[in-house]
Amino acid sequence: MKAISLHSYKGGTGKTSIAANLAAIYARLGHKVCLLDYDFRAPSLSVLFKPNPRFWLNDYLNGRCEVEEALVDVGKGLGLRGAIFAGFADPSTKAIRDMMTKDRAWEMGALHRTLSAKRAVQRALGADYLIFDTSPGIHYSSVNALASSDAIALVMKGDDFDIEGTKEMVQGIYEVLGRKAGIIMNKIPMGLIGEGEEGFAKGIEDALRIPVLGVIRCYCELMAMGGRSIYALDRPDHPFSKALEGLSKRIAEM
Amino acid sequence: MGNEDAVIGLLKKINENLEELGRKLDRIIEIQGSSRTIAKAMTSGEMPLDVDTLLSLPDHLRRTAMAICALGEATATQVAAETSRARAAESDYLNQLVSLGLLKKRRKGRDVYFYIER
Repeated sequence: MKAISLHSYKGGTGKTSIAANLAAIYARLGHKVCLLDYDFRAPSLSVLFKPNPRFWLNDYLNGRCEVEEALVDVGKGLGLRGAIFAGFADPSTKAIRDMMTKDRAWEMGALHRTLSAKRAVQRALGADYLIFDTSPGIHYSSVNALASSDAIALVMKGDDFDIEGTKEMVQGIYEVLGRKAGIIMNKIPMGLIGEGEEGFAKGIEDALRIPVLGVIRCYCELMAMGGRSIYALDRPDHPFSKALEGLSKRIAEM
Repeated sequence: MGNEDAVIGLLKKINENLEELGRKLDRIIEIQGSSRTIAKAMTSGEMPLDVDTLLSLPDHLRRTAMAICALGEATATQVAAETSRARAAESDYLNQLVSLGLLKKRRKGRDVYFYIER
């Protein structure tokens, strides 16, 4: 099994959309995928799947259930050869506030439970891929997910000018944890790719010293959907879906 | 001339060895330094084995600590299987983590189990 974290330095880069589409692409190929919403500060995976779970991932981290009990089979009826089991972060204000007030001792337990979840989805579910959709920046929940992953896909968008902050995060977290990492450039306006995709990617690679896995252009029609569609399934021939297909192969090889 | 070349070659080899020794000593000093920093933090207050602590550990101890985080409770042999390193090395690292106050250990029959106290 390969555990992958979708992470970013700033918010709004498209992590959730990429995570859900990657899960769909892997499941369409016949793989079993476990998709976990680890953005407890701004849960958004539930917008896409509108689940009604018996337990949230918050319950699992609080020791109120097993991770399998917090997973929902969201791939049913999507015509997939494989399956997607998703775990959701509780979007209620009370739950978000509760997660923001946890102390270090609790976070220590959360790290253990995250690592245990990785083992459980591999053994009990027979998952081929575990995908964490994390919160941006350096928060406990995201670093717990990064530490539990085999590879990290850093999602950046066209107006991410804080290269220094991103570099600090790459060196201080990714490199220290010794995780393989690659960059996904997302929502890139045509005008920004002046000298072509290769030259654009090279500039970012040189600055961050990790490879660019792919450059995805900005598509207004995608933004208009507001994260309510899995393009890889709904419009498989769209350039966004095609770009993600290429990315899914490169991420699997990381 | 032949002798001179041999002496020069020998001196170069000695120099290379000394440089290598210097690098290893620097590494030992670095590891000891970080262990002392952690030990100081231990005595100054609470320091649970969370990701923050993990990130501040030297590489060799971090891998061991991560394995215990994943396994919950384990012997040096089980940790060695997880990290693909020698059991003797893991036993040493586990005991260093115990000395730092990050892990506890208990004996069950002939085996010693290392764990995180919650």
